[in-house]
Formats: sequence, C-alpha cells, structure tokens
Amino acid sequence: MKTKFAPLLAALTAAALLTSAACSSSDDSTDSSTSDEKVSLTYWSWAPNMDKVVEGWNSTHPNIQVTVNKQDGGDPAVTKLLTAIKAGSGAPDVMQAEYQKIPTLVSADALADISSEVGSLKDKFPAANWTSVTLGSDAVYGVPQDSGPLMFFYRADIFAKNGLEAPKTWDDYAAAAEKIHKANAKQFLGTFSATDAGLFAGLAQQAGASWWGVNGDQWTVNINDAATQKVASYWGGLVEKGVIDNKPMYTPEWNAALNDGSQVGWVSAVWAPGVLEGSAKDTKGKWKAAIMPQWDAASPATGNWGGSATSVTSQSKHPKQAAEFIAWLNSDPAALKLLANTANVYPAANEATATALTSPPAFFSDQADFYTIAAEAAKATKPFTYGPNVNTAYSAFNDAYGKAAESKKAANFTAALATIQSATVDDMKNNGFNVAG
Amino acid sequence: MKNSKISTTLLILGAAYCLFPVIWVLIASSKSSGELFSTFTLAPSTHLWDNIVDLSTYRGGLYWRWMGNTAIYAGVGGLVSTFVSAMSGFALAKFDFPGKGFVFNVILAGVLVPGVILAIPQYLLLSKVGLTNTYWAVLLPSFISPYGIYLARIFAAASVPTEILEASRIDGAGDWRTFLRVVLPMMRTGLVTVFLFQFVAIWNNFMLPYIMLGTDKLYPLTVGLNSLLNQGASQPAMYISVVTGALISIVPLIALFLTLQRYWQVDLAAGGVKA
Amino acid sequence: MSLTTQAPSKTIAAARPATARAARPGGRRAGVPYAFLAPGLILFTLFLAAPIVYAGYLSLRKVKVSGLGLGSKSRTEIWAGLSNYTRSMTDPEFLPSVYRIIGYGLVVVPIMLGLALLFALLLDAGRSRPGLSGFARIAIFLPYAVPAVVASLLWGFLYLPKVSPITDALSVFGITAPEFLSSSWVLYAVANVAVWGGTGFNMIVIYTALKAVPTSLYESARIDGASELAIAWRIKIPIVMPSLVMTFVFSLIATLQVFAEPMTLKPLSNTISYTWTPLMKVYRDAFVRNDIYSAAATSVVIAVATFILSFGFLKLVGRRAFNQEDS
Repeated sequence: MKTKFAPLLAALTAAALLTSAACSSSDDSTDSSTSDEKVSLTYWSWAPNMDKVVEGWNSTHPNIQVTVNKQDGGDPAVTKLLTAIKAGSGAPDVMQAEYQKIPTLVSADALADISSEVGSLKDKFPAANWTSVTLGSDAVYGVPQDSGPLMFFYRADIFAKNGLEAPKTWDDYAAAAEKIHKANAKQFLGTFSATDAGLFAGLAQQAGASWWGVNGDQWTVNINDAATQKVASYWGGLVEKGVIDNKPMYTPEWNAALNDGSQVGWVSAVWAPGVLEGSAKDTKGKWKAAIMPQWDAASPATGNWGGSATSVTSQSKHPKQAAEFIAWLNSDPAALKLLANTANVYPAANEATATALTSPPAFFSDQADFYTIAAEAAKATKPFTYGPNVNTAYSAFNDAYGKAAESKKAANFTAALATIQSATVDDMKNNGFNVAG
Repeated sequence: MKNSKISTTLLILGAAYCLFPVIWVLIASSKSSGELFSTFTLAPSTHLWDNIVDLSTYRGGLYWRWMGNTAIYAGVGGLVSTFVSAMSGFALAKFDFPGKGFVFNVILAGVLVPGVILAIPQYLLLSKVGLTNTYWAVLLPSFISPYGIYLARIFAAASVPTEILEASRIDGAGDWRTFLRVVLPMMRTGLVTVFLFQFVAIWNNFMLPYIMLGTDKLYPLTVGLNSLLNQGASQPAMYISVVTGALISIVPLIALFLTLQRYWQVDLAAGGVKA
Repeated sequence: MSLTTQAPSKTIAAARPATARAARPGGRRAGVPYAFLAPGLILFTLFLAAPIVYAGYLSLRKVKVSGLGLGSKSRTEIWAGLSNYTRSMTDPEFLPSVYRIIGYGLVVVPIMLGLALLFALLLDAGRSRPGLSGFARIAIFLPYAVPAVVASLLWGFLYLPKVSPITDALSVFGITAPEFLSSSWVLYAVANVAVWGGTGFNMIVIYTALKAVPTSLYESARIDGASELAIAWRIKIPIVMPSLVMTFVFSLIATLQVFAEPMTLKPLSNTISYTWTPLMKVYRDAFVRNDIYSAAATSVVIAVATFILSFGFLKLVGRRAFNQEDS
C-alpha cells in the first residue's frame, strides 16, 4: 500500500519541506542584532505614499531596509496587529498607531517600550502628543507622527450668498445651519455621522470631556458626563430640527453631496484638505478653513480627530534599529518635509510648522494662513485620556447613535450616552480591569 | 400562445433583474471619476480604457497580482480539493467498512460549519506553525471541502459500476491504479462540477484570506477590492478603480461559466431521485 | 444502494463473495477504504475538527487583567467556566439579532427558492426555444459568479439615493424612491442582495433535476389535455421535491450565516449595527472588542443551532434526500 500512495506522500513531504524551509529562512534573517549587520524591517502604515517617504530612509541607510505594507486604515491595522500578537507571530516591526488605540495596544502587550532609544525626543513634540505615547508613565510606546486638531471648513461662496460669516460659536453654527437649509432645502451645513465616533470624541474633548481617566490603580469612565451631554443634545437638536443631515460620512453618497454642493460645511481636522481634494474636486477654490466654532469664544478650545504615532511592536526582533528609523521618520527635517508633502499628513513635531508646512495645502492654495490657523487650533487642544477599550466604546457609539440619528430625536441622542457608558464599563469589568463605577 | 408570452416575459424580467447591477458596473466603469457621481447614472462615457490603465498602474500593477493570486488560490485549491474529494467520495460510495456511517455523518456536519466561525481558530492554529501571511495559509484550509466529498460520493455512486471495479481487481490491478485509470475517468464529469464548485467558493471567499494575510501582495481579489473600497472612503477617486476592478474581476468567472456550461448540472439529490 | 453487497452476484466475481473481501478483518483489503479516506480525513481533522475543538476550548477561557493592565505581562488567560456563554446569551443585542435573522430567512428563502423553481420550470417548458432559454439561464446564473462582497458593494451604490439609477429612474415618473437603507427597508435591501446572488444557483439545481426526467412522462398527460400548469404542479414539482429539499437546507444554512452582505453595507447606513446578525456579533467580539473568548462562545452556539436546524429538518422530511443510504 505504501507504494501505491507514493505520489501523495511525495506531495505531502514536499509541502512539509517547503513550509519548514520557509520557517527556518525567516528565523535566519532575524537572528542578527548588531547594528552594522543588515536587517530588514516591516512597517504597517495606511498613510498615502508612505513607501516614497521610506525611500528617503532606505537610500541613506543600506543596513536597515524598511518595507512598507500598506494597510486599509487605522482600525483594520489594529485588528490585524492584535490578532498577530495573540497568535504569537505575524506582527510587523514598526506600526502606525492612532493615539486612541495606544492604550489598547499597550494593554495587549503589543508595543515595545523604546524609552532608552527615543526618550530624548520629548521636547520636540507638543506635550499632549507626547503624553499620548507615554500614557503618563516612564515608558515610551512610540513617537508622535501626526496630529489632527479639529478645524471648521466651509463653502465661502454659499456663506457669502446667505450673508453669513464663519461661525465663531456653536450658536452661530446652529443659526447658520438653519439659515442655509431654509434658503435651500437641499443644502446642509453638516451631517451627524454615527459611524465617526472619533469626531464625536473630539467634539466632546473640545467641550472639556475626558472619557477615560486613571485614579491611582483604577480606571474611570466618564462618557456620560455633563460636557458630552451638552455636545450630544446640541447635535441631537440640530438633527431633530432637520437643519443638518443624519447620514454617515465617508460614503459615496456623502462624497457626492460635498461635490454637488448639498454639504456646504464640514467640522473636520487639519487633514481635511486631502479628503476634500478627492471628494469635492469640482468645488476647488470655494472652500475656506477657520478655527472651530466655540462654546465659549473667550477661551478657545479644540479637540482632536485622528493623529497617530509610530511604534515598535513587541514582536520585533530589532527594536533598536526600528526605534532609530522611527526617530528619523518623525523628527528629521528631511523626513518631516516628506511626511508633510508626500504623505500629506500634518506632522506632530513642533518644528514642522516652520520648516515643512510653509505653503498651504493645494486645495486651499489661496488661503496663505492655513497652517497658521492650524497651529493656533493645535495649541488650544484640550487634554483627553483614552482607555484600553476604545474600540468597544466606539462600536457601542456606532450602534447607539445609528439608532438615534435614524430616529431624529434629540432625546435619543442624550440617552445613547448612557448605553455607551455602561457597555464600556461592563466590557472593562468583564476583562478584569480595575474600574470605578 | 398566451402561456408562452407570459413565460417569455417572466424570463426576460428575471434576466433583466440579474443583469441590471452588472450593466450598471459596465456603464459606471466607463466614466471618469468626476463623472461617476455627477452624470446620469445610466449614461455611458468613454473612459473605460483609461480606467483600466489607471487600475493596472496602481502601485505597480498590484491589481493584476491579486488576479494572479486568486487564480492560484482557486486553481490549486480547487484541483487538490477535487482530488481529495474524489478519493474520499469513492471510498464512501464503493466500500463497506466499520465506521463508514460515522465518517459520512461527520463530513455532512462539516458542510454546515460557517467559514466565519472557523477562520479565527484556523488563524490561531496556523500561526502556531508560522504559516500565516503565506500562500499556504489560504491554500491549506481550502484543500478540504466537505461539500465536495459529499458531491463526489454521489457522483461515484452514480457513475462507477461496481462490476468494473471487480473486473479490474481480477485483472490484478492495484486499488490505486484502478482508482487513477478507471474510477477517475468515469467520474470525470462529476469531478469537473466538484472542481467548479470549489473554484468558485475559493474565488468568492473573503473572510479566510482577509484574516490570514497581512501583506497586500498576497491578497486575492475580494480582499484587494475591499481594501480599495476602504481607501475610497477618504480618496473618492479610488471608487472608479473599485468599480472597474469589480467589473474585471467577474470576467474570468463568466468566461469559465460559458466554456464549461455543460458541467453546471448539479443534481444535489441524484440518489433521491433514483431511489 | 449498497452496491458492494448487491452487484457482485451478477458478475464473474460470484465465485469470490465481495462481502468477504470487504469485511475480512485485518486483511489487506480492509485497509483500502481507510487509505483512500486518509488525505480527506487528515485535512478534515486539521482544518475543520481541530479549529472547532479549539474554538470550544477558547469559549471556556477568558483573559484576566491585573491593575491598570498597561504593564507588560499584566494579562493572563484563565478558565472562565460557562461565563462567556451566559454573557453572550444575555447580551441585549443577541436575541434581536436572532429574531432579525429569522425574519430575514422568512423573506430570503421562500422568495429565492420560489423564483428559482419558477425560472427552472419556465426554462424546462421553454426547451423548444433554446435561444431565449440559453440567454436567460446564463443571465440568471451570472450573479453566482459575483463574490458576495462585490455584489453588496454594487447594490450599495444602487441603494444610495444620490448615486442610484433606481432613484433617477423613478423620479422620471415622479415617484420618490424610498430610502433603501432606512430602518423600514434595510432588511429587504440586504435580502435582495442574497436573493440576487442565490436564485441562479438554485435554479440550476432544480433545472438539472427536471432535465433528468424523460419527456415521455409528460406526453401522456398532455394527450389527456392537462395544461402546462397542471403538469408542472402534479408531475414536475413532485419529481424535483428532493432537490427542493436540498436547496432548502443549503439556503437555510446560508441564511444563518449571512455576514458579508450586511458587513459591506454597514458603513453606508445608520441602520445596520455591529450585531445585526449573530455572525456579525462574533466578528465584533473577536475583531473589534478583541475578545475571542466571547466570540468563540457565540460561534459554538451558532454551530449547534445550525446542526439542530438542518438535521432536524432532514429528519422531518425523511433522510432519503440528503443521506440516501442507510449509512
């Protein structure tokens, strides 16, 4: 019988050989640890053209070659990384990680502490961003790459037609939304997007909320606090009145609405020009950027939407070299230029405003002070702490606000916060976190 | 004849319903990205070739690599699983042995297990042997198809007369030789069907490769298109590539259907009819 | 139809009773079927059985965090008993997702199989007009070639009012199209993608069964003056009943497993939640909440429900269709 199954056995043996060969070869390549030896690093990032930015490193560092693996976006990348960590293999060396995911990743033991390699960079970054990568501890889990201070973008032509100016306060914004929608029932100043928890968190941050907090060795969760309630009831009121839309952002529908002039404003972040460039091509030159509408015009405040750090994963066999690359990427003047102009991100490093961001983004080419406004916004960013289960809170937001937005009832907007709060606390308790409340 | 008019109308309506989205893709992929959401949706334009060129040059022809990967996953996976199914189906249909009922019931139960449920533990197990993010991660799990075994068993029972097996045995041919020289050729038509089934199942699979693969050079079309779609959310110019990519991705399967039409004769209950 | 025990008597092999060779314990031949089964069984064990067992194991485990859970090695895996099951079953979103899937099944399965049967009968009756039949057969089968992800993507474009030709077309007649992804329509919108993708395949299955029937069977009925409708109802449908049963079982399984369609449509709407179907909840727990243990528990529940439903149904209609041997 053995001979009769020889072909099959041969095939299986071949497969086994192939796989063991694959394993051993990858082991060989990761054995080295001295810095003059050739190493290759993998880097997961979703920023556009990151491979071109990295070319700038590879051409000058023949011994540390970095390969970019393009990711679909922040969420899918974290999902994959966490799965790889759980499985014990498959993670990249270097990983772009959104600030709000860092506690989750640290709690899953996915990121390496690189304080001895990059700790000296501290003063090159805004304090808020640096805290996001240290979580207030002595460890350093990454170097800030880009930040996303909230700004307000609007169609200057439509505002002029309606005799409006950029809203200074949220009351102004509400009045403008009503006026614009009354003048043309097809036009909305914005939409409440239940699929963008990150934006809502930024709005709550502006109002003074901090959804998570640390008290000794205990977590606190404050999603249903007064500040967030204020924001929820404000947007619920606008949706109930019907003066802003209730459809999600980032859909083909929404893109079309930006382009055909039915969406005439966008509360977004500094990176918005890149999105508008693609979505609202036909309206180029008609948009203007401004600082966010305020709750209290006397003490301006901003929140964040997006922004990310570059981290070394705990599975990297070459954390030293990876940290070296990360430091270059986020603080070297040449790299900052590439980040700003090739990858189209808003570098977090302090000196970027002076050296890399000298001309406004293409979509706002006639607004010379674009980055001055952005820098002003960034300075007013309120502190905000993220917890270890942001994904749970955000997915609960998604479901609860999907229902609320669909119902168009302000009361459901405020009630939804209690649902999110309890889902978040329950999840932490279930995982054994020490959490108050 | 009134009856035939009604039936003709119904068939045309059915065909129209099924073709409508396909026609929409064809029209949409002929538009420039500016026209996609601004001109009347069913008005064709002239940019199909430009869009194909754009898609082909996207990150060094990555799309065609996805197409090649898909062909490897579906082709190799389909062939191996058909062969494995044929062996198992033959054993189940043509031999009596202790445990046969048990084996068959276990395999039937396997037909019912959702892929999404399997994907996570499969990932965790494969990563323990370092196979995730390789071609093997997608290929190995697709080598086994309980449904293929089930079909192969039906086809073996229906198309391989026991007399021939007996004759072959008496001629002194070994079981393996008999299987290769006699059984396989007799089951050929059925096995092509099994192959097509598994080929389409792998071609259309999303969850398994999505979880297993981290490098986009290894992606099949479904996962690749999904990643283009995700990028489309913030770079709407990508939508036109998604639409064009979707159009091109269904062309090979249509070709496969048209050329192998006669094998698409699936009698799930062959035994039942005959009994 | 156990051929190995019936057929040999008619052949020259009568001298060597087949039963002897098949059953002789320890003999050379006894190993043969196992050898043929070996590759299938090994692969089955590695890639189906082992993952399921592993999922069962995971469903009884959970992670325990110490302190703030931020330091390295602050997580340990411990036994959880049945707590993942109770949590997953008592999740307020779980039962609604089960009811939703039942409603979804009640829409999809009858419509899809009804259309499949209708088209199969029409194709069969239209065998005399090969042109139209051939075209319709391919056209209706075509969606089977479109992956669910791509199909949902296409329909997603067609559902959004601003980019949909349906809305455009209806507005020509002065009709305002409904918002297909609003809460009152979304179930049908998802169901439509499944019906679109599945009708053709089931049609082919039923049509194949119809074609296997010799036309002579209908001739006498025709001569007796029976209408085509009566022939379809009294002769054809009973003949394809076993195929219908099979397509029903497979459609039922597919319904319970609906995932790709709502997942792809989700970002386009407010109305599809993370827990819209039970499998989406599995996905959320595993990949969004990073809690593979709860996900495993829900998986096990879904798998068990699928087995009970499918085997229960087959028991109900008699096992002949699925499992025609007495094995």
